[in-house]
Amino acid sequence: MAERPEDLNLPNAVITRIIKDALPDGIAVAKEARSAIAKAASVFVLYTTSTANSLAQKNKKKTVSAQDVFAAMKEMEFDKFIEPLQESLEVHKKSQQSKKEQKEAKAKAKKAEESEKNTSMAEVVLMDASHTCTEIGVELQNTETMD
Amino acid sequence: MAGGEWSHNGVGEDGAVEEEERGSGLRLPLARVKRIMKCDPDLNLASQDAVYLVARATELFVESLVQESYQYTVHSRKKTVSRRDVDNSIEAIEALAFLEGALE
Repeated sequence: MAERPEDLNLPNAVITRIIKDALPDGIAVAKEARSAIAKAASVFVLYTTSTANSLAQKNKKKTVSAQDVFAAMKEMEFDKFIEPLQESLEVHKKSQQSKKEQKEAKAKAKKAEESEKNTSMAEVVLMDASHTCTEIGVELQNTETMD
Repeated sequence: MAGGEWSHNGVGEDGAVEEEERGSGLRLPLARVKRIMKCDPDLNLASQDAVYLVARATELFVESLVQESYQYTVHSRKKTVSRRDVDNSIEAIEALAFLEGALE
């Protein structure tokens, strides 16, 4: 699978947005500063992954869990992130749950709609059959009188 | 900034699937973060929550680095955050030592 260089970077526009929102109005960011920050962010992802993975492996686990990421924050001296991360995770889990429920409700509604469709199609077919019978009836009458 | 304006509408560089993956105010695309994580040869599996947390932590990290750099901008009485300001932050803060030499 070919990997384009930009695939391993975070989207410029998003990074720029986050940077802008973190600064007071009227403060600009030099292009070189912005790309350094973007690069730093990618390195941070790698560093966090590596740290969290080591911690998971230390606990004989094959899957890096949320707990491992929290522990990594502590290890990396980013303790100040832990509380906001916990809050974000709460909100995220709730929205995932409601999305799941919405999806299930949608699937259920679609199923109901489809079975209704099948019923009305059957009704149409029956109606067609009865019309044909009527037409045949008329024809037979006509034939009889043609003697 | 090709495609930049559209990113948050889900029609970004990574396509519509990104919109669904983001939630709870997350701006970084989860798929992209996951791709970077996969560069680690030692990584086996990561739970969805773990990927989310890495993405969210990275957002906090960017904010934090920017704010630290800005302190130097203020000190130099300038209105533009420079590369120099970023470098100074990295040098000054213990937790940012992992970035030394990594930004070339």
